[in-house]
Amino acid sequence: MIEVSHLTKRFRDRVAVQDLSFTVQKGEVIGFLGPNGAGKTTTMRVLAGFIPATSGTAKVAGFDVFEDPREVKRRIGYLPEYPPVYADMTPRAYLAFCAGLKKLPRGRVRGEIERVAHLARIEDVLDRVTGNLSKGYRQRVGLAQALLGDPEVLILDEPTVGLDPLQIREVRDLVKGLAGKHTIILSTHILPEVAMTCQKVLVINEGKLVDFDTLDGLIAKHLPGRRVTLDDIAFLEEIYSKLVSPPPAALPAEPPAAAAS
Amino acid sequence: MRSVLAIAKKELNIYFTTPIAYVAFMVMAFFAAQFFIGSVEGYRNFVTRISPYEGQQMLERLNLTDVVVTRLFASVGVFIVISAPFLSMRLLAEEKRARTFELLMTSPVRPVEIVAGKYLAALVVMAVSIGIVAVFPVILSFFAKGMKGGSAIDWQTVGTGLLGLFLLGAMCMAVGLFVSSLTESVIVAALVSLIVLLALWVVTIFTLGAEGPMKDLASGMSASEHLMPFLQGRIELKDVVYYLSFVVLGLWLTDRAIEGHRWA
Repeated sequence: MIEVSHLTKRFRDRVAVQDLSFTVQKGEVIGFLGPNGAGKTTTMRVLAGFIPATSGTAKVAGFDVFEDPREVKRRIGYLPEYPPVYADMTPRAYLAFCAGLKKLPRGRVRGEIERVAHLARIEDVLDRVTGNLSKGYRQRVGLAQALLGDPEVLILDEPTVGLDPLQIREVRDLVKGLAGKHTIILSTHILPEVAMTCQKVLVINEGKLVDFDTLDGLIAKHLPGRRVTLDDIAFLEEIYSKLVSPPPAALPAEPPAAAAS
Repeated sequence: MRSVLAIAKKELNIYFTTPIAYVAFMVMAFFAAQFFIGSVEGYRNFVTRISPYEGQQMLERLNLTDVVVTRLFASVGVFIVISAPFLSMRLLAEEKRARTFELLMTSPVRPVEIVAGKYLAALVVMAVSIGIVAVFPVILSFFAKGMKGGSAIDWQTVGTGLLGLFLLGAMCMAVGLFVSSLTESVIVAALVSLIVLLALWVVTIFTLGAEGPMKDLASGMSASEHLMPFLQGRIELKDVVYYLSFVVLGLWLTDRAIEGHRWA
């Protein structure tokens, strides 16, 4: 569904992503892991067609993101790092606008808005002004936008930022519910989230692919002989710090409280 | 077309839920009213002061449209030039600042659809702004009667005048849209387009003493010189071409600027 081959992105003399190659099958949920500045957002932006790659290609559903941008964009629901919402609009008007951008049939718009509002749990705030909503709600309005039109591929850049633990669980359940039918790439700093929602983990550090495997594969490779269950989150933290250090201090200190949620 | 209308509708939605359009309309209404009252007063003074003998011929040629409406429209021109940058400043700059530009760029729309939607909304706001000015000749027609009992207003001249103002507004909005596509700062967008448009409006004062080609060049470039024939009731091809070429150039450059983001 998603094929990235030898993708490189340079910003003047800084290399953000270097020779990145990976393939995602239809229906898979991929967790994108990496320290800040590792190139997660850049890769997602290239896949969503917001910025071009310096070299290499990326294909979504068989279409090259640079050659056939509109065919690709039609199939992608994208939640950028910062939720792209308008402070002066209500979520309802905003979603109607996005439905127009995505050229959904007029008759379906109202139903679609109800559907995604329900999925993202924003029914209560649909008629409030977005600028007055909390960060968590704005994030969920952005998520609702990505779900609009039921795209085959979802690219979610840190979908759970700004959400409280209960909401994080809701988003997690939402992603799980979408898996199978949709192909999902989501980036996050929250390791439990990866362990609970993603089938495969893609670890990226300083623009380079460090490892791309299933959770079981990662465990077998990096913690040989250890018996872990998926409820045990600490193992992922260990693998992650092995993969992305040095720098040694790159370990994301995620409180175990979040794991309990 | 669907996405063009969606973008235009969203732009209008924001124009009319934020104060910016209302402030621009108020500025337009306030100053147009001042100039209107001033022109009517001037007309009244003039008519009462000239003696019925020597001024008879002049009085016969004097007409309310030329003296009041044309003068009003000529003064309104400068307020279009001043208010347009504030109406166009956030069209694209604000999208970039608020990072909603990423939404537009990752939606299945072509840059030309974004430009068309934005510009359509800008034109509607400009039309409302000019519609406010159009109220004044209507008010005048209630009170002024022509010599033979008909309307004292020459509606054709009013019509061409309004068309000229609209073309001027369309040009200002196209320039403003392009400038707005180049920056993330709405203030910079407003100031730069204000400077460009004001320079085009007053360009002839730079060549006041000059003669020959320099003077011709200046008056050929001047946005105010090209407005005059419209106000006097004439639609001349060169003036229409002048305004429309700015519109086409502005929109084309905006399209290129947005397309350029895909390559940066």
